[in-house]
Amino acid sequence: MPTIEIKNLSKTYRVYQKQEGVLASVKGLFHREYREVHAVRNIDLTVEQGEFVAFLGPNGAGKTTTLKLLSGVINPDHGTVTVMGYVPWERENEYRRKFALVMGQKNQLWWDLPAMESFRLNQHIYRVPREEFERTRDELSDMLDVTRLLGRPVRELSLGERMKMELIAALLHKPDVLFLDEPTIGLDVVAQHKIQEFLKEYQRERKNTILLTSHYMKDIEALCKRVVIIANGSIYHDGSLEDIVDQFSGDKIVTLHLHDDGGLDSLSGLPNVMEVEAPKIKFRVPRDEVGKVLSRILAAHSVDDIVVEDPPLEEVISNVFSQAEEKGRQEASQAATGS
Amino acid sequence: MSFRTNFILQCLSSMAWAGMNWGLFKIIYVHTGEIGRGTGWHENEFFIFLGTIWVINSLIQTVFMANAEEFSELIRTGGLDFALLKPIDTQFLISFPRINWSQVPNGILGILLIIHSMQKLMQEKELYFSVFSVPVFVFYVICGAMVMYSVMICLASTSIWFGRNQNLYDFWFYITNFYRYPMEIYQRNGIGMALWGTFTFLIPILVVSNIPARILAQPLGTPWKAWEWGLAGYAVLGSVWSLWASRWVFRRALMSYRSASS
Repeated sequence: MPTIEIKNLSKTYRVYQKQEGVLASVKGLFHREYREVHAVRNIDLTVEQGEFVAFLGPNGAGKTTTLKLLSGVINPDHGTVTVMGYVPWERENEYRRKFALVMGQKNQLWWDLPAMESFRLNQHIYRVPREEFERTRDELSDMLDVTRLLGRPVRELSLGERMKMELIAALLHKPDVLFLDEPTIGLDVVAQHKIQEFLKEYQRERKNTILLTSHYMKDIEALCKRVVIIANGSIYHDGSLEDIVDQFSGDKIVTLHLHDDGGLDSLSGLPNVMEVEAPKIKFRVPRDEVGKVLSRILAAHSVDDIVVEDPPLEEVISNVFSQAEEKGRQEASQAATGS
Repeated sequence: MSFRTNFILQCLSSMAWAGMNWGLFKIIYVHTGEIGRGTGWHENEFFIFLGTIWVINSLIQTVFMANAEEFSELIRTGGLDFALLKPIDTQFLISFPRINWSQVPNGILGILLIIHSMQKLMQEKELYFSVFSVPVFVFYVICGAMVMYSVMICLASTSIWFGRNQNLYDFWFYITNFYRYPMEIYQRNGIGMALWGTFTFLIPILVVSNIPARILAQPLGTPWKAWEWGLAGYAVLGSVWSLWASRWVFRRALMSYRSASS
């Protein structure tokens, strides 16, 4: 049985459309206009035990709403979900002891108290035996290098330090399933890298199931083999990271290091040249033409080195998001015309 | 108590309020011997009533008030998400996370005022009270706190439907205005009787303060009438009913919780 099984899941919000100005505010006391936002539309998804899945999508795509539905924070309009055999929104304590949700933009630690006090509270709430709690806390704080900060009030911690504490708080009860909603948002490169390394190591050791949303492609590249792309509340793509690059990136980027500068003039006339820095030239080539173009160049020029690479993941994902949003708009417009 | 000066100022402020409250009624009793003719609420009896109010207020403000206010904020900001994730009863978790220790001195002042007034009453009227009165008093104070807690939870839960409800403190002020006085003062005309009926049976806050105060103050003077015994029974039923109602409202409200965007 899959660890997470989602069938036909939907959630729609009714949002008040406030008009500008005082008169409009007064009018709003008597008559209000609402807009329906389809945050999640008929999603189907299965995740097996031990998978580390990236959940990607533009802002407002429905990623966080899906995680909240999976955590039982909100109730769906329709559809079914089971996580480890539990229905999340029934909020059974047994289920709540087996998963954790970390939100990079929200704080669950006591703001004015040291993180240690929040950890201790979690120990009692999750009924973690004292010795096990202390061992796990020490292990995690050691891995994240925050042992010296355990006694400092949370409000005096930096964003990166606070995020590490949030992770420890979420992991003290050793959850089997972990939902991570942008855990590295706003962090500097060092802190991001530390958290990536920690998550990678943690998942490798514990083999737990993790769903991660992030806008940092470095997180995704470092951690996830499988990527689910959601846009306009619907799943647009579900596959490996390589699949996405293959499917959605039409070009390869070729960098040639010429033996001398002589050939640069003729090569500069190639379409899609990105950068010329003698004796190097960088250009884009359609994926299915890489061999043909390179053999033609190699026949005519003396080349010391060739690098053929995929475009940056950010660029590929950005293309996917644009396509997905366009598709969503078309579907919405068709639905509106149809109705 | 992380912010020491703020804590001390809060303690002083609540004690100053209690002092002014006591002073006001001292002045009133210079002009009259009894609140309401024939009600039995003379100065010492009334100060037992006043002390009881301080104790109940202190209990509610120490244990519930800050948490109920915080609950409204948790709903607006989406912080309730984390309470819903915890494997523990959500109503319990949001009801007791914080203790406002600065309101404790008020309760201690209330107890001292009750003891002092009872001593005076015993000296002046040569009356004695049963030791049994103390546990019964404590029991009814707890019943009263349960009713007030339930009212607060119901009101705070409405924030889930309304998105925001900043009326909690105002509502608390309005309601405590009614329960600060003996219920006999309402039983003189039509409007008074309507208020008495509403705040005795619909939202039973009058029994919150009147029953425990009466247990200490009135048995020393007059024996209880049948309706007073009925009211004491109703106070227990009312607290159970209020708790049940608040739980029902809270659970219904949670079903509509939509969290806040992150």
